[in-house]
Amino acid sequence: MANRTIEDRLREEYFELLPDIRRVLEELEARARFKIMPISLGLDQYERIVIRSRVKECESALDSLRRRQEGATFDREHPDEYTLTNLRDLAGVRLLVFPRSHLEQIDLALRREFSHWEADHIRDSEASDAPLALKYHGYCGASDRIRGEYQIVPMLTGLFWEVEHAAIYKPAPQLRGVAREPAMQERTRAVLKALGAFEQEFEDLIRRSYAASNEGKSE
Amino acid sequence: MTNLLAKRQILQNAGYVYNFDREVYVNRKAKKVFSLEFVEDNSEDDLRTRIDEDPGGQAWRFYFNAEPSKAVQEELEEILG
Repeated sequence: MANRTIEDRLREEYFELLPDIRRVLEELEARARFKIMPISLGLDQYERIVIRSRVKECESALDSLRRRQEGATFDREHPDEYTLTNLRDLAGVRLLVFPRSHLEQIDLALRREFSHWEADHIRDSEASDAPLALKYHGYCGASDRIRGEYQIVPMLTGLFWEVEHAAIYKPAPQLRGVAREPAMQERTRAVLKALGAFEQEFEDLIRRSYAASNEGKSE
Repeated sequence: MTNLLAKRQILQNAGYVYNFDREVYVNRKAKKVFSLEFVEDNSEDDLRTRIDEDPGGQAWRFYFNAEPSKAVQEELEEILG
């Protein structure tokens, strides 16, 4: 029989881990939903919190692990160095939030719930201001092998990432490296900046409109 | 223009092409490979120096932050060559 490749071994590992990944996701999503319920129930008509959860697919997990190596290449001389348990996002929950003024409140609620989890926020590599998204990872009771990850993301940014993923990277995972190319990073930065400004303007207008309407009622 | 874009321009002007599957810049004629990490972590002057370096033979040169193993070099040579 031909020697198994690193990819073959990792695929086997993935399916062995899959029940744990699903359990972690179920626990993570349930705890997150429960913790933010008081916030969700108090939202105004125009405000939204959308929770998305996903199990990372097998080939996507392998690709992620490969891309963590410099030169995006596994070292075939050291196959045992690689394990999917090093990935932090095999089970992931993303909370899309509008308006952004709720980000802090949600962050606080979830930090209390997942108090031992480690922060690893997503930042624009060339900007020093607020992170693009808040990201945490850690273990929960469902498994001591698989880490879960949750992200709290402004709505438009999160939806842009979803569209980008669905339209480009999901059908052709090999294109993932395109996103790291400097010119593409520059374009992505411009999109995210524009979406942030759009969201900010929208939120400001709504806030002013609501404030004016409330003033009218109290007079 | 950001620092990274300037470095990209230097590489492009020297005939390097980005390989998005391996996340490296490659020049087949010069037989040189720059990892994206190396490009990010080194200055524009460093890049120019490495680009101008005499390859000194037929073997590929890998400019990585951590020296790639022989197996990794062979695989990349096969894919990129």
